[in-house]
Amino acid sequence: MKKHLAVVASIVVFLAVFIPLASSSPDGLERVAENFGVEEHAPFWNGLMSDYAIAAIGDPYVSTLLAGVLGTFMVLLAAFLLGKMMVPKNREVLNKQ
Amino acid sequence: MHIPDGLITNAPSIAAAVVMWIASIAFLAWSWKKAKATYSRSITALLAISSAFVFAAQMINFPIAFGTSGHLVGGTFLAVLLGPYAAMLSMTIVLLMQAFFFADGGIIAFGMNAFNMAVIGGLSFFLIKLFTRGSAGSRRLIPSVFIASWVSVMVGALLAAVEVSPAFAGGILVTVPSMLFYHAIIGLGEGAITTVLISSIQRMQPAMMGGLTLLKEKTKL
Repeated sequence: MKKHLAVVASIVVFLAVFIPLASSSPDGLERVAENFGVEEHAPFWNGLMSDYAIAAIGDPYVSTLLAGVLGTFMVLLAAFLLGKMMVPKNREVLNKQ
Repeated sequence: MHIPDGLITNAPSIAAAVVMWIASIAFLAWSWKKAKATYSRSITALLAISSAFVFAAQMINFPIAFGTSGHLVGGTFLAVLLGPYAAMLSMTIVLLMQAFFFADGGIIAFGMNAFNMAVIGGLSFFLIKLFTRGSAGSRRLIPSVFIASWVSVMVGALLAAVEVSPAFAGGILVTVPSMLFYHAIIGLGEGAITTVLISSIQRMQPAMMGGLTLLKEKTKL
């Protein structure tokens, strides 16, 4: 359990360190769309934290970091629940077929 | 390579989106069935942590050339840690959260993104299996991981190029070469990061590489 907490903590540290260093250039697909003048139409769904930012927080670093940490914990929880559903209760060892 | 709904512009692209939804659901149903027959309780923590890490890593874009960036997809990384089945499911969770909460990748386009990254990422496991001849101790493991990572990005980019082509006046003739061009470079980043991560884990925490125990498994579809 301690080891797992340490890994989760290091993911948060990883985000805190790398978010300011991340490139804001368009990614491969966005670049291709730009090169050929293809305009994206407005999406019908903008998400709650569109573009990894929390609208209520002015500082872009804090906003992105909080959105990232929140997302990390949401994925952590969702994947944990998936794992629980995936494995029958009584199975202890990896099934060697 | 997350396809936004903004690039689903006309009837052919909607048709492509529907086809990819169906294809993704078919593969995810298969991986769910296989996962239920394969894993033990010990997968839960690793599944949660590695999914969370991939989400975080995907936020960090690295610059390539030409004012363009890329980020780790992490499909092959997950496949080595978790095996192909849980890797597909794990990446699907990451993509779901990105689409619903962060508007990164569309909802109509979700089937495309799930196939290009989750399904292809999971399937890259079988490339590693092929290259290492099913032996996790093989000296070829790390080179295989590099190649599988690069190939998974290229195959994903090729599929994405075809899927978004209806939005482009030039169709696949322009999307395929240009997507493959940029992703050939982005894929090198994917390969480098995945290789460094996997070889460090192999050195420090070999027990974490649970997916590799599935290398020997005879795959019954």
